[in-house]
Amino acid sequence: MNTADDRGWSPYIGGALSGVVFILSVWFAGKFVGASTTFVRSVGMVERLFSAERVAKMDYFVKEAPKIDWQCMFVLGIFIGSLIASTSSGTFRWTALPDMWEARFGPSRIRRGVVAFTGGLIAMFGARLADG
Amino acid sequence: MRILVYGLIAGMLFGFFLQKARVIRYDKQLGAMRLMDMTIVKFMLSSILVSMVGVYTLLDLGLAQLSVKPTVLGGNILGGLVFGLGWGLLGYCPGTAVGALGEGRWDGLWGVLGMLVGAGLFAEAYPSLKKTVLTWGDFGKITIPQVLGLNHWVIIPLFVMGGLTLFWWFEKKRL
Repeated sequence: MNTADDRGWSPYIGGALSGVVFILSVWFAGKFVGASTTFVRSVGMVERLFSAERVAKMDYFVKEAPKIDWQCMFVLGIFIGSLIASTSSGTFRWTALPDMWEARFGPSRIRRGVVAFTGGLIAMFGARLADG
Repeated sequence: MRILVYGLIAGMLFGFFLQKARVIRYDKQLGAMRLMDMTIVKFMLSSILVSMVGVYTLLDLGLAQLSVKPTVLGGNILGGLVFGLGWGLLGYCPGTAVGALGEGRWDGLWGVLGMLVGAGLFAEAYPSLKKTVLTWGDFGKITIPQVLGLNHWVIIPLFVMGGLTLFWWFEKKRL
């Protein structure tokens, strides 16, 4: 919806500038970018609220301890950066259905929600399996 | 504490660029998978090529160390296939789902919740995966220059030239 007036930057420029950010991260923080470990640490923090003893014993939460780290702040930053960029350029839109999705699968928000949730679950399992 | 602030700043810049280049959109991500629109590939490959040159320069200057993930064919191949299946359904990857929320695309929220559950399920499955899939084809922490026994500055220009050729072809085909 309403994407015709929405002039963005070249993906080459956006990508190259992101590359510069990644280099500076390695230089000044010694950190390589990523996102999926944050989901492990976050769910570990949630599970710990219910059963701290169990989480403390689980191999994967020993390997990726449930805590706020550099990457967690990086992922939070992505949200804030995107919010700033979209609101300052008038491209922020509350959207429940992507255009391409709606054209193919119709206007049901429930259908989109179920597929998006399932897709997220599968994608994250795969990402962790590949250690990505 | 300073490290956390660096993380937040890096993330904000990255999120800003992702939004400006319009890559945190289902239509762009599915467009790439359907070989219709290569915007996200241009973005990803540009960032990879730039950081490849920069990070290896820092390494040579002694200002940084590499953080190499182990190559485990079982996990990498199966995990990649499973990831692709989920990515095709959701239309956002883990980082871009959060970015999509930032520009109001709140279907990304269902994806984020699914990802948290997926991460939790992986943690449950990890002890048995560690003994099976994650032992298949384990080559340890290897890099391409190291396997080929060549200096990284022989390999990097090849990657850059390959990337630029691909970009040229995308533009020619208007992808």
